[in-house]
Amino acid sequence: MSTNEPTGAPLAPNQDPKAQEKPRKTRKIKTTKDVNGVPQEIEIEVEDVDGPRWGERKDLKVLNTELRRVDGPVKVTGRARYTHDVRLPGMVYARLLCCPYPSAEVTIDVQDALKLPGVEAAIVLETKTRFLGQPIAVVAGRTSDHADDALRALKVTYKPLPWAVDRAQALAEGAPNVRKNGNKGKPGQNGDRAEAEAAIAAAPAKLEATYSVPVQHHASLETHGVVIDYRGGEEATVYISTQWTFAAVGQVAELLGLKANQVTAIVEHMGGGFGSKFDLGSEGAVACRVAKELKKPVHLMLRRPDEFVMAGNRSGNRVTYKAGMNADGTLAGLVANAEKFGGLGDGSMARPPYVYSAGKTYSEVVAVYTNTDSNRAMRAPGHPQASFGMEAVLDELAYQLGLDLLEVRKANLKDKVWHRQLERVAKEIGWFEHPHRTKPGPNSGGKELGIGFGISTWGGGGSGGTECDVQLAKDGSVTVSVGTQDLGTGSRTLVTAIVAEEFGLQLGDVVARIGNSRLPSATGSGGSTTTGSLSPAVKDAAWNARNAFAEHLAPILKTEAALVRFAGGKVFSQANPNAAMTWKQACATLRDAGLNAHGKWDKDRAAALMGNGVHGAQAAKVEVDTLTGRVRVLEMVGIQDCGLPINRTAVRSQLNGGMVQSLSYALFEERVIDPVLGLALNANFEDYKLAGPSEIPKMTSIIDDDDQRSATIGMAEPAIVPGHSAIANAVHNACGARVRDLPLTPDKVLAALGRIA
Amino acid sequence: MRQDPNHDEENAERADLSRRLFLRNAGTVAAGSVLAQGLLGACASERASAAAAPAAPAKPDGAPEELAGEFEIVLDVNGEARKVKVEPRTTLLAALRERMEPAMTGTKHVCDRGNCGACTVHVDGKPAYACLLLAADLRGRKIKTIEGLGAPESLSPLQENFCAHDASMCGFCTPGFVMSITACLEKQPNADLATIQKACSGNVCRCGTYPHVFAAALATAKQAKKG
Repeated sequence: MSTNEPTGAPLAPNQDPKAQEKPRKTRKIKTTKDVNGVPQEIEIEVEDVDGPRWGERKDLKVLNTELRRVDGPVKVTGRARYTHDVRLPGMVYARLLCCPYPSAEVTIDVQDALKLPGVEAAIVLETKTRFLGQPIAVVAGRTSDHADDALRALKVTYKPLPWAVDRAQALAEGAPNVRKNGNKGKPGQNGDRAEAEAAIAAAPAKLEATYSVPVQHHASLETHGVVIDYRGGEEATVYISTQWTFAAVGQVAELLGLKANQVTAIVEHMGGGFGSKFDLGSEGAVACRVAKELKKPVHLMLRRPDEFVMAGNRSGNRVTYKAGMNADGTLAGLVANAEKFGGLGDGSMARPPYVYSAGKTYSEVVAVYTNTDSNRAMRAPGHPQASFGMEAVLDELAYQLGLDLLEVRKANLKDKVWHRQLERVAKEIGWFEHPHRTKPGPNSGGKELGIGFGISTWGGGGSGGTECDVQLAKDGSVTVSVGTQDLGTGSRTLVTAIVAEEFGLQLGDVVARIGNSRLPSATGSGGSTTTGSLSPAVKDAAWNARNAFAEHLAPILKTEAALVRFAGGKVFSQANPNAAMTWKQACATLRDAGLNAHGKWDKDRAAALMGNGVHGAQAAKVEVDTLTGRVRVLEMVGIQDCGLPINRTAVRSQLNGGMVQSLSYALFEERVIDPVLGLALNANFEDYKLAGPSEIPKMTSIIDDDDQRSATIGMAEPAIVPGHSAIANAVHNACGARVRDLPLTPDKVLAALGRIA
Repeated sequence: MRQDPNHDEENAERADLSRRLFLRNAGTVAAGSVLAQGLLGACASERASAAAAPAAPAKPDGAPEELAGEFEIVLDVNGEARKVKVEPRTTLLAALRERMEPAMTGTKHVCDRGNCGACTVHVDGKPAYACLLLAADLRGRKIKTIEGLGAPESLSPLQENFCAHDASMCGFCTPGFVMSITACLEKQPNADLATIQKACSGNVCRCGTYPHVFAAALATAKQAKKG
């Protein structure tokens, strides 16, 4: 699993069901059927398939329905055990000390701390730092209060070194080198600049403007961290809040001096990741060190302020667009110069122009480095950043020409799927009755309503590496086992649902075992690839189990395996549906060990089950108080395709969740670091504002059922891509205030109004 | 504006970190004194009931009770008398999650400073942030945690609706939301959307389950109306 962020152009979605279809083959089976007690020879046509298929949508009983999350009951009762909740005998609580300066030489005396009661360890980790929040010491105590005592007792002297924490500092003459080769990465260039500039110059409407988005935090409610259960000896267990169960095993083994087969990783439940939790992390490595030294279980979960400075972020960016639009609303040309701010990391930015066709284009994208923690993948890395300026440019140019914002979008989108999606969200949100479709509303001094749009894309797909076991027990119980993790996305429900569908059972008849590295292997959950990697493997195992069970049952049902049917909790021959056994009766015929089947993600078989490439469109309606600059989002509407939805409820939850996060990005979120003092100013939930219950608008999430692909596709990422762009556009549409820098705080809205007043 | 359930509205007084740190470091739990009333009022869910409640035992002469080091207290948690060793500075959250045997980890630790609502419990029937309360202050008070509401096989009506409306994704904020809204519905069984939004405005969810949370709460209110 790579956590590298895509920086290239978005993948071209392909919603054509024919691309995935294989010709249907059937064969005829001769069998006997009882008619009024008299056996008669008959022929039955059965589908002759070379591998598992999802089947016709109309026949599905579990998939593509509104399913309840199988782990809902343990979550709503506080019974779900997260890494944070692991309690082991003799366990100590560890805390990190993170450097409060962007770069410093540090000396730490741990002696006083070690003398305190209840303190078990105090270890210096670094003496010279290069990013704000870098861990410099670790302490451990009998309780977290004791660990806090130890932190306070550390004698630390900081000698701050020159730093750069923002663009101005990083690009200033004589700036300290953040990375060895300076503070700028190698620019990525695409297209012909002169050609694009010429096309823009010849266009009737032109624009040159700079758009920026801030550094955003993942802000998972469960912080990063581990519990390392190692008490000496040759076995260790790592409980870890991760997006990849299997990633930490090898790392922990190496750090503890064990072999990989002596280490088990467990992720029963995890409290959100959004792209930031893929490997053991520096905190996990430190926990291993403490566990090895103390030979006691170590609980090391980051404290909230530490999470904010050392656990990754969505890179900010700043893009200057030059663009020209033809009289018909098509873009004539676009030049984009983008800078990415990913701290020590390279940042991410989908290559402009984002999704839309823009005539002659040129783009240059470069990373600007600062002494802050490296960005990590965050839900659709690079896409929200690229969407923001692109959607704004379209609106700004459309207003110049007096064109309808919806029509301008369609004029620049070749793929008609977006046309129908845009029409749908426009209808839902009341666009066609809206008075300001071709020019912004007035700066009236009162409250004004505006509507804005944005679109999204993502790849999804899946890859090899996931295997799965399905076990049928003699008592009728069914277990599906795969080591994958559930981030809250619903993967536990997904694996359960696929097996239930296969055997004509209900969700509650199947138990899923996931989140353990002793189970069959699975890929990490990143880039909306879990669905495409997991569902084919589970389906394969379920299909194999079904075939094996059918073979076993055929002589008992006096039929052929191809005619054995599983439906409605019953098992029967297609020739004699009335002579059915219950599921329990059928399982009772198994040998004592039951029936075990294995399946995996196989390239050829998976190709018939998973897909790649999705589309989405969102619309936002806002109310802007032109007197105070305050923006209230009144309504958001999102539509998303995703091939065959496994669980419609989970799809809608993802879509709503993405829109809520994009609303939060639009209005509130921004990492703030004082450039002079070098201090993180809002590393807590009081000052780093997340959208809360009071800010949630009316929300409508629509699954695009016109997408009839019989293939599963993950859709976590695209849901977060366009919402903030739609909101910023809606603010402009309401009252003419074009804020080109997120978040849309009242001061910026007022300043923008001031420019037009 | 985020509503902090540890404060009543009419007399919102800020219980900021420094206050808690002061208490933690002072090593003294003062009860029955003017100081205690001020502090308890700031920290407990509703000032009036907090000040009037029979809190920590005071000395016969009315002087503040001196507490230091580690000592055992008994807390009424979900109707059970739970013994737990705490220090003066131990928060209810830490007492529940780290110090009780067996630990009660349903109440979540997220921000540890009253910003997120994940640690919401009920004290004498009112919602409060467990991270802003000192365990020793809560002797004699009725504490209810998520573990005391319903079990997976016997969900409360609200919990049932949380499941029906997919009101949890990662689930880390869920116990807090369930506690906040349960308290609201106990007081106002027919609560409308605005009331529910206000009741949980001290809770945050990063996955963005809010519309589903509201739907679950409104469905529960509707059922109460019918029933």
